[in-house]
Amino acid sequence: MRRRNAVVAATAAGVLALVAAGCGGGGNSSSSGVQGASHSLVQSGGKKGGTITVLSNGDVDHLDPGAAYYQFTYAITYVTQRPLLAYKPNSIQPTPDLAASMPTVSKDGKTVTVHIRHGIKFSPPVNREVTSADVKYAIERGFDAAVGNGYAGAYFGVIKGAPTKIGNTVPSISGIQTPNKYTIIFKLAKPSGIFVSALQEPLTAPVPAEYARKFDQGKSSSYGDHQVATGPYMVQNNAAGKITGYTPGRQIVLVRNPNWNPKTSWRPAYADKILFKEGFDPTVATKQILNGEADVNGDFPPPAAQLKSITSNSSQKGQLEFTPTPGSRFVALNTQKPPFNNKYVRMAVAYVLDRNSMRLTRGGAIDGDIATHFISPDFGSHGFNQAGGFGFNPFPSKNNSGDVAKAQAMLKKAGFKSGKYSGPQVTQVADNSPPGSNTAAVVANSLAKIGMKVKTISVQHSAMYTRFCGVPKNAPNICPNVGWIADFHEPQADLDANFNGKNILPANNVNWSQLNDPKINALMEKAKVELNSEKRWSEWGQIDKLITESAAAIPWIWEKSPTLYSTKVTHASELWNGGEPDVSFMSVK
Amino acid sequence: MGAYIVRRVLWAILLLLVVSFLTFVIFNVFPSADPAALRAGRNATPALVEQIRRNLGLDKPFYTQYWNYLKGLVEHFNLGYSYYNSESVKSEIFSRLPATASVAVGGFIVWMLIGIPVGIVSAIRPRSILDRVMMGGSLVAISAPVYFLGLVSLFLFAKGTGQLQWFGAAGSYVPITQNPGTWFDSLILPWLTLAAAFAAFYARMTRGNLIETMHEDYIRTARAKGLRESRVITKHGLRAALTPIVTMAGMDIGLLLGGAILTEIVFNVPGVGRYAYLAIVNSDLPAIQGTVLFGAFFIVFANLAVDILYAFLDPRVTYG
Repeated sequence: MRRRNAVVAATAAGVLALVAAGCGGGGNSSSSGVQGASHSLVQSGGKKGGTITVLSNGDVDHLDPGAAYYQFTYAITYVTQRPLLAYKPNSIQPTPDLAASMPTVSKDGKTVTVHIRHGIKFSPPVNREVTSADVKYAIERGFDAAVGNGYAGAYFGVIKGAPTKIGNTVPSISGIQTPNKYTIIFKLAKPSGIFVSALQEPLTAPVPAEYARKFDQGKSSSYGDHQVATGPYMVQNNAAGKITGYTPGRQIVLVRNPNWNPKTSWRPAYADKILFKEGFDPTVATKQILNGEADVNGDFPPPAAQLKSITSNSSQKGQLEFTPTPGSRFVALNTQKPPFNNKYVRMAVAYVLDRNSMRLTRGGAIDGDIATHFISPDFGSHGFNQAGGFGFNPFPSKNNSGDVAKAQAMLKKAGFKSGKYSGPQVTQVADNSPPGSNTAAVVANSLAKIGMKVKTISVQHSAMYTRFCGVPKNAPNICPNVGWIADFHEPQADLDANFNGKNILPANNVNWSQLNDPKINALMEKAKVELNSEKRWSEWGQIDKLITESAAAIPWIWEKSPTLYSTKVTHASELWNGGEPDVSFMSVK
Repeated sequence: MGAYIVRRVLWAILLLLVVSFLTFVIFNVFPSADPAALRAGRNATPALVEQIRRNLGLDKPFYTQYWNYLKGLVEHFNLGYSYYNSESVKSEIFSRLPATASVAVGGFIVWMLIGIPVGIVSAIRPRSILDRVMMGGSLVAISAPVYFLGLVSLFLFAKGTGQLQWFGAAGSYVPITQNPGTWFDSLILPWLTLAAAFAAFYARMTRGNLIETMHEDYIRTARAKGLRESRVITKHGLRAALTPIVTMAGMDIGLLLGGAILTEIVFNVPGVGRYAYLAIVNSDLPAIQGTVLFGAFFIVFANLAVDILYAFLDPRVTYG
């Protein structure tokens, strides 16, 4: 799961709250793609030259492609680096980037072969042609704690010889073979239905070992400050390779990579320079974009009042696009201890939750659709439709405001004869600031309708995850503020970590419900090795249904991200990356 | 005086030690985030989280972590490395210090230039229309939050976003060495915004002190001796009335040198205050620790400077 900016998470809240009234209803009118009146993706014929200015509130997490794991950072990583696969802006279908063609998978699913393009060169000072050995080194260094890649184990741990113990050295992985300069072969310990999709992660972007190894020494790699590029742009550097275009928290300057050959790439790369200016208050930044002083927002949504004003202004609303995010927010119920180890009590909660009011705490309909299961609409045929699409809702209620009668019926089945919960008080650990704190209050109020008293412990959002909900021995009964964004549009990336009993960990646990249902676990293990994508997506769709019906967690919103463009540039929102702008497809008009 | 200064410096060092210890305790005892888990990400394996924990030294007992921190600080003046992005905290703070100093010192000059004259005028014409207007205005300025005032000033007077595009926009700050004109232009609105509440407060303080002083016996004596009123005010009244203002000014400039957080956030001035804000948001202990220590350093030493200055301003004060 890629990270979203903590500052923005807090800001966005209040943001959209005001807009709700203006946008009305709680209907489920939806779309699975980028929405915006003037969506005008320019794949050819854009104007060459000029500078595109992106404004952000926060900073990137890491410039190093081996460590980057944040939506906003990816907007930079993917135009400076070339992973084996990548995405065109309005797509969720991986496309060969460094790879010359889509990978081939052996019949037994244990061998994946990728041929890489000829003639791709590293930026100065390395300047030489990229080879398959550079991809091998890039992935291997992901298992070095000094680089600290957050997903190498999850997606690349299936490669034969991948280390299970992590140290401060770059391991040699026997299952990554490079028979020649342009071929890389992955030998897997077992088939993996998502391995090919995972090749779009920036960890597969080549890193020249002879240049990077000295920076990878010690406890913390400094390759990010000296990185070389393969994409159309590079972070400005000096002759020795030291990055000069990055001032943490202030700005990142991308300039053209002189060694990039457009014939090897499908990125048009119109602009000569991309300027990421950081540290902006969202209100001020939105105004600057509307006034044409800057071109697009990077890591924050336009604040509420301005969003309302923009959507109601006929000359401005075309500047705005909404992109669904691949994931959902949900309320996790701890299935390992009373009262939520009883399925009927959980189902009572699922019925009584006022999901419409919960959504209002984040801004209402403009923030997204009410989620009725986990796989989000942007997955489309990749599992969303198979899970029943918008039609699947096992816990319906009028206006999604909760159904007390049905909840009471469930409580009776759970043994509470009066239909009211009469057990001990339950505890929830929630955010200590809006919107999360408001969402938690709605949860508590909803549960009060069935007699369930909730004690709320309020902490910082990151502490909620890393000290309470993510540590089973400290986990409360309810985690009302959790959510997940899939790394790519494979349902496994959306569901496995959160609901597979095998993934319950003593710390950094993301199976917040601690769901450990043998039937669901078995179905997941089967789906994970299914190589036929249609079958796989269908299986995950069924799994999604089972998880939702178990009420171990109650999904309540599929969010959308607003991206605001100035009138001076063309639009290119990344559907695969929660609406981040793809600056390599944008052009100055 | 020399012995006094040495004694105060030693106390200041002890105070900084206490501040750093308290910051450590607060971060470790209260439920803040786990930096290793944050750094590793939510999809990371337990093995990676544990190795990062070891790399950051978080696997060691609390007192060992604190001892290592102190050792680095004393031996190498090393404030540690950010948990969030591994950047050197010392480098980050020092690179941001000129921006913070620009905001703080400029703001200080503006509020002193406005606050004290307004206070004097109000004090010598108490209950006049001018006094009421100025004190009413100062009440408004004190009440307006910096965040609100900053946004309003940007939307009224900043280039790019304002109705009247007079002054530098948010994010337009450049170091004075790069372009003095742009530097000055970019800081006009931050200075005015920061100075508004301070100037108002200083005006009210000056007014109150001066009115009180002007009723002292020695003022009556001065008048009886036939001194001109202007001389009575400047020579005898102001000197006594301004002594507490100097104390306040020293404290405030010290506080702001540690980071004018809200002003830097609204106007996107890349200073220490903004860094402190991001450090808190990211549960980045080394950065929090560094900025707190830095702020404490300025406050403690500004206090010391004020105490020394006191001896020159007020002949009754002596240090043994």
